[in-house]
Amino acid sequence: MTHIIGAGMDRRALLKLGGAGIATLGLGPLTACSGSGSSDTIKMLYFGQQSAATALQKKLQPQVTKLDKAMKLEVTGINGTDWNDFLAKVLTQIASGSAPDLVSVATEGLQLMASKELLIPLDSYVTKDLSSLQSYFDDIHPALVESMMYQGHLYELPDSFNAGSMFYSTGLLEKAGLEAPKESWTTDDFHTYATKIAATGPKVYAFDWVVRLWGSWTSFLYANGGNLLEEGKYSGGDWLWKSAYKDNPAAVAGRGGGWKWGQPTANSAAAVEALEYLIDLQRSNLSPSPDVGGGATLQGLFSSGRIGMTIGGGFWAGGLHNAGMKDGSFDVQRFPTWKSNKSLFGAGGYGIFNSSKKKDLAWEIVKMMVQPESFDIMFPGNVTTPGRKSLMTAERYSSTGPSNWSVFYDQLEGSVPISAPPYYNALATSLNQRTTKAISTGNAKAALDGMQADFEKAVKGV
Amino acid sequence: MSTLAPPRSGNARPLRTDPGGRPRRGTRRLARREAGFGFLIISPAVLFVAVFTLAPMIASVALSFFSWDVITPPRFVGLDNFERIVRDDAVVSSFGTTLLLAFGIVVVQLVVGLGLAVLVNQRRRPAAKTFFRTTFYLPLLASTAAVSIFMGYMFDMKFGVINYYLNAVGLPSVPWLTSTWGAIVTIILIAAWQQVGFTFVMFVAALTSLPTDVLEAAAMDGAGPVRTLFGVKIPLISPTILFATVVAMINALQLFDQPFIMTKGGPGTATTTATIVMYQTGFQNLQFGYASAIASVLLVIILAITGLQFLAARKWAFYR
Repeated sequence: MTHIIGAGMDRRALLKLGGAGIATLGLGPLTACSGSGSSDTIKMLYFGQQSAATALQKKLQPQVTKLDKAMKLEVTGINGTDWNDFLAKVLTQIASGSAPDLVSVATEGLQLMASKELLIPLDSYVTKDLSSLQSYFDDIHPALVESMMYQGHLYELPDSFNAGSMFYSTGLLEKAGLEAPKESWTTDDFHTYATKIAATGPKVYAFDWVVRLWGSWTSFLYANGGNLLEEGKYSGGDWLWKSAYKDNPAAVAGRGGGWKWGQPTANSAAAVEALEYLIDLQRSNLSPSPDVGGGATLQGLFSSGRIGMTIGGGFWAGGLHNAGMKDGSFDVQRFPTWKSNKSLFGAGGYGIFNSSKKKDLAWEIVKMMVQPESFDIMFPGNVTTPGRKSLMTAERYSSTGPSNWSVFYDQLEGSVPISAPPYYNALATSLNQRTTKAISTGNAKAALDGMQADFEKAVKGV
Repeated sequence: MSTLAPPRSGNARPLRTDPGGRPRRGTRRLARREAGFGFLIISPAVLFVAVFTLAPMIASVALSFFSWDVITPPRFVGLDNFERIVRDDAVVSSFGTTLLLAFGIVVVQLVVGLGLAVLVNQRRRPAAKTFFRTTFYLPLLASTAAVSIFMGYMFDMKFGVINYYLNAVGLPSVPWLTSTWGAIVTIILIAAWQQVGFTFVMFVAALTSLPTDVLEAAAMDGAGPVRTLFGVKIPLISPTILFATVVAMINALQLFDQPFIMTKGGPGTATTTATIVMYQTGFQNLQFGYASAIASVLLVIILAITGLQFLAARKWAFYR
């Protein structure tokens, strides 16, 4: 505001200053109190219920105590139906001056937080501790690491992911006289399956889905060779690939400094065709009208045997088991191939807030969180897919299913992270609105033209 | 010197005045002291309103002249945010949706509230009156968020109980929340259902306190129940109707919970109200200045509509 304060302050400048003063009066309490709390508490945000966050806090505290005897871990649970809800609440909390030290955030929020400089690059920490992290990098798929990079820098250490696979009810397939789909199945096969499953009864839908960025009609869009935004990669990242993956250069061939989301392509021919495919499923009564966000309703319908197939990731192993489904009553296969076998995934990991005054300790906790033994403390009961391949074992899925659990990790090959640019929240809002519009009107092209216009506005920041 | 008559009971001292009728100096001091005590008594409430209502309102209006993303310091942009509103189809459309929903909610709320109040007022047994008053008021006490979640399940096209019974009598499932007009009508009905208790209770109180002599005169003149209702009762309770209309309209123009929870503002933007756009703009897109400008425009719209209601009431509200 310094440019409006001068020796000869005119009326306009005075009015501006008055306005700024009033605003500052209102905003002062919000902006002034930055920082991350008392010196003996380290705060972490967690996407979930506070009861789960508190339980997590109790389980992690002994490990934090090993790092710093006096330090108390405080985990705050944040509820929401989807990641845009979570991010909105995180940003509100930051605005209120209670920025945490650590955050567990998924692909959806990575570029948003990195672009706003809310998170710090972990490059120097990783370089410093590379030897102790080597076993981690040897164990985790580079696609997950790359998805946590932005403009050549690494902002999070990933520990989990979910790739969009196709879950199916074994009971309904059996009733329809169908065998388990093969790994090489196509969308034509999928349609045949859907038609036969729907014929099993009037209260059965062959397929259901949720309107959201991850695992929505977007899975069909990816399989159709398209995307909502132009795909590209930032340069940089060699500092990591050439050191952490020096013994396995083939695995990191073509990797860059993170995914660069370019111009919107929401109304491309591939997108229109993919959305029309889903609308046709609904018109043919093979699929009901989808819900927006979350997936709790869908989970209830699937577990009660009213849905034949749906898109899910490793999180559904625990989700369906917890909903009462027995091992063997459901299974999973790769997402069917359409014009390509490209599929999508989203990853989760841990980052450090720029405002943290305990960055070094926060880094030690981040390293601790990606250790194999921390995974089941953080995610008990298969509610997500482990990022470390060594944790993907038959024993892990023996009590929950599915039998074909290896699909989760295998599908990472050739898959692309969900297109979550820095303006993810605006993108998600438009995606939800325009998709529901397309479904209610049946006009995919008009809705996607609107989505394209929304995205173009969001790219420009208006 | 004159002394005002003392009160019939209590220990309050009579107010002493000088020959000119003005309070004496000692009396003035007492009055000042009593006024000070009065201010002291109401100060917590005033402070509460100032801190939690007035200050945020002023800050919000001031913020509408800034660009602010929470993370970087606010930047003064003058009237840019307001100019942008005019050009922003999504925001303009949300104001239209808000007005449509608000009009529907207020009409249903008033008509149903008045109808129920008239019916309950005709009950002779006090127990029946108490039962109906409590029953119709109960939805107002429930959490709007909880009601919206519950109603979302009830009106769900796939497994909602409403469609279950429609199917049971051979009717097809209705896309209550997934078609444009289905969502608009459902949101209106649910919001009105929850708020109807408020207007109902006010109308019952107004109808109960109607002067019996006027009603008896109408009866002696041969007016039947319908004529009495429209020719006598409704005109007599018109100030209550005005108050109920104003309050209901102000509430309805700020509609958020029901469409946000039940339809997420959809399908498309069919139920996206101005408050939902404010939330998305501010808390999701981090454009707090622009969101505040939308809030300021909504405030002006609410004030304008309220003013219009009072102006129109001069023609139809009847004050005895």
